Amino acid sequence: MSDAAAVVDLFPDASLAGLAAAGPVDVVAGVHIVNQARRAADVLDTVDAALEACSGSRRTGVLVADAESQDGTAEAVRAWRDSGASGPPRGCLDLLAPKHRGRAILALLRAAQRLEAQAVLLVDGDLTGVRADRLQALLEPVLGGEAEYVSPAYTRTVSEGTLTTNLLAPLTRALYGARIQQVMGGCAALAGATIGSWLEPGIETGDWHPHGAELWLTTAALASGARLVEVQLDRKLVTPGGPQPDLATILVRTVGPLFALMERYQAVWPDRTGSAAVARRGDPSAVQADARTPAIEPMVRAFDLGLKDLLPVWEQIMPESTLARLYPLALVDPDEFRLPPPLWARVVSDFAVAYHERRLPRDHLLRALTPLYLGRVAAFVVEARATPLARIPESFDKIDRAFEAEKEHLVARWR
Amino acid sequence: MQDSWADILVKSFREVASRLAVFAPRLLAVLTLVLAGWLVAAGARRLAIRILGAADIDGRCARWGITATLGRTGIRRPPSELVGQLVFWLILLVGMLMAIEALEVPAAVGLAPVIIRFLPNLLVAIFVMVIGWLLANFLAQALLIFIVNAQLRGGPALAGALRWLVILFAASVALTQLGIAREMILLVFGIVFGGTTLALALAFGFGGRHLARNALESWLQKREDREPDDMSHL
Repeated sequence: MSDAAAVVDLFPDASLAGLAAAGPVDVVAGVHIVNQARRAADVLDTVDAALEACSGSRRTGVLVADAESQDGTAEAVRAWRDSGASGPPRGCLDLLAPKHRGRAILALLRAAQRLEAQAVLLVDGDLTGVRADRLQALLEPVLGGEAEYVSPAYTRTVSEGTLTTNLLAPLTRALYGARIQQVMGGCAALAGATIGSWLEPGIETGDWHPHGAELWLTTAALASGARLVEVQLDRKLVTPGGPQPDLATILVRTVGPLFALMERYQAVWPDRTGSAAVARRGDPSAVQADARTPAIEPMVRAFDLGLKDLLPVWEQIMPESTLARLYPLALVDPDEFRLPPPLWARVVSDFAVAYHERRLPRDHLLRALTPLYLGRVAAFVVEARATPLARIPESFDKIDRAFEAEKEHLVARWR
Repeated sequence: MQDSWADILVKSFREVASRLAVFAPRLLAVLTLVLAGWLVAAGARRLAIRILGAADIDGRCARWGITATLGRTGIRRPPSELVGQLVFWLILLVGMLMAIEALEVPAAVGLAPVIIRFLPNLLVAIFVMVIGWLLANFLAQALLIFIVNAQLRGGPALAGALRWLVILFAASVALTQLGIAREMILLVFGIVFGGTTLALALAFGFGGRHLARNALESWLQKREDREPDDMSHL
């Protein structure tokens, strides 16, 4: 498939004409946005300011892709575009159906490639309180030739982002050998030269869940061996542009793409061993205390119910050796609940293999992980309660190392 | 006396010989038909497996989860081989029916055309049952996972009920296709479904309205009391 054909596949040529007519753009900021009519102008102004601050002699441009908003975001974005008499040129990508965030990200990358951008800044319109200087900090390593991919690292509380800290990041670290904090940071910067090699032909037709494209971008960077830099930002605050999905759906939309990407990059990850630290700009901030400690009991109850009722499903996914280690957990008091990292890593590895072997419908398989994940979160919270804040990073590290130790077993079973 | 004994002996030999003369060609025809049927069936099985292999049916079935579902019921053979076996036995069955017809046994006269006419319906009925069974397992599993993730009890019972409901529905469609007691099945199915729905409606509306109200209130209360999932998982 030619590049031109691929672009037309995601958005009509005409929607890029305004920006393309201004000539090649050195730095493109691509904002993907859904249902943020009230906040759209603020977010875009921030992005605009970040671009202006780091433009220098470079030509810059802002592109916005609306992933089918229902609240007038598209109109707000167009009004913002038309209001910009001075400053970087602004454009709106009219996505072709099906419109969703995954395709919006791919369209922005394709458009940046078409504009021959040297650097691309991707920003999720849901991010709240993101500052222009932080976005500028993301772009700088790319503009300085220091990195091909820049990922954000956030300050977080103990039980914030438990899916990231307990599954997505440790598994990604073990697979691709880089100790990255965020696999879906909501913003990232990348070198324009890398886009072509990462956007494989036909990738537009992939079944991308809302978070799938973001996960793919991080994974593509890691799998390709791109030079990586993490930039320390503040807290990750998000104002979702719509009702939040239930936990099982979140797992389907995040763990599903992660497992799918294991298949896409199965020529790469089995040969990688160990993990290396990622270059970082800014000092890692200390883990903060939770404003409200999550209740453990409902999570343990969910785990127990899963162990009681979902066993016939789990038996299709996990071997008896794993299940035998789970059975005794049903007898433990919630305040003493333990699901240790090595066992959790084995559970995730079993699910990945079962997903790969299509032992049951993939949606069912991923949803069946929910009680186990809640059990792991409960165990993590119990452990964190008894751990001083300063030593919480050690807990994260323990999870990461458990996934690394599990990898050999995973590779042996992955055919 | 001696003549009579010899006559009887010769007569019975002649009788057997004449019967054999009539039966032997038929027996030979039967053996030929069975052998030919077996050869054609074996060839057709091999051809079917090759065609299905070229179309990557095994790979597709694995991707669609059909192989795994079959595996759970103890069927370990690849789907292409299963279809090949079905083709083999169908052709062999036709060959054997022709062989029975060739015997000209009074009881079996006209049996072959009847069975052959019945075969398409049988195939459709088998197909309906297979699809119904797959659908029943899929829906029951989806319901079970949904109920457990909603942290409600009684998931296995409800999932089991749904599985049997779908299988019963598929069975009734299959039996209707076969033309077996069509009216009776429609009637029974209508009564069972209609009766169950009516019984549940009456139970909730009259007999168990307090219980139903309490159950609903308790369920809604539990939902309200449940800790809001204010954790940021990502």
